[in-house]
Amino acid sequence: MKSKSIVLVTAVILMIAFTSIGALAITKKSTIRVEGMKCSKCTASVEKALKATPGVERVELNLERKEAVVEYDDAKVTESKLREVINATGFKAVEEKPDSQ
Amino acid sequence: MNKKLIGALLFLLPVVTLGQNSRPAQLTVKDIQGRHIRLSDYRGKVVLVNFWATWCPPCRAEIPDLIRLQRDYGRRGLQVIGVTYPPQKLEEVRGFVRRAKVNYPIGLGTKETKSLFSPSETLPMTVVIGTDGRIRDIIEGILLAEEFEQKIKPMLK
Repeated sequence: MKSKSIVLVTAVILMIAFTSIGALAITKKSTIRVEGMKCSKCTASVEKALKATPGVERVELNLERKEAVVEYDDAKVTESKLREVINATGFKAVEEKPDSQ
Repeated sequence: MNKKLIGALLFLLPVVTLGQNSRPAQLTVKDIQGRHIRLSDYRGKVVLVNFWATWCPPCRAEIPDLIRLQRDYGRRGLQVIGVTYPPQKLEEVRGFVRRAKVNYPIGLGTKETKSLFSPSETLPMTVVIGTDGRIRDIIEGILLAEEFEQKIKPMLK
């Protein structure tokens, strides 16, 4: 009886621990400067490619400032990978401005 | 007078008449050699009409993928047709096509050519046409590998 209680308590503790780890997953936000992004007709590809990347949660493009603001789960995708994705759309991700959140 | 009329009609090329999904899409554009490209000539194939421009970075980035798709899936009934979007100089198009070794026909389009398929101004844009000549999908932005797998590959032989 006592051992059953110990197993149950342990299971509950483990469950809480795993849930907490999930809740602690931090969304990172990066502002990436995109060279050549001056054509409003062409930017859809950047947004589309970024949004199709696993781990990317939100994308906002600023054509005037030539920036892509990306919110992502850094356990699933890195900023370096995001720059690769942008470069594959024909533009050039030239600079990063990490914003801590 | 007749010559003027004929001249005006030629000026209006490419002639594009696009039906809704209920009837086959029709498209006639001149290619970079001055010959006509007619969509009706490709009936029975799955046609990707790719609108692009040499000044559009994603369009240029996408073209090697389209070349690869034409090469790998041409035998399974895929036909890519590129249609340019203005402003576009013929010599620039010819030069790009030669350098990139484009392996599918390239037609010279106008704003009207594209707007008859979609009001969107996004480039690149790919119109997917089924073997029956009807529009199956319109893909805005670069055609992603997963989009090809999900939307186009199942239509091929």
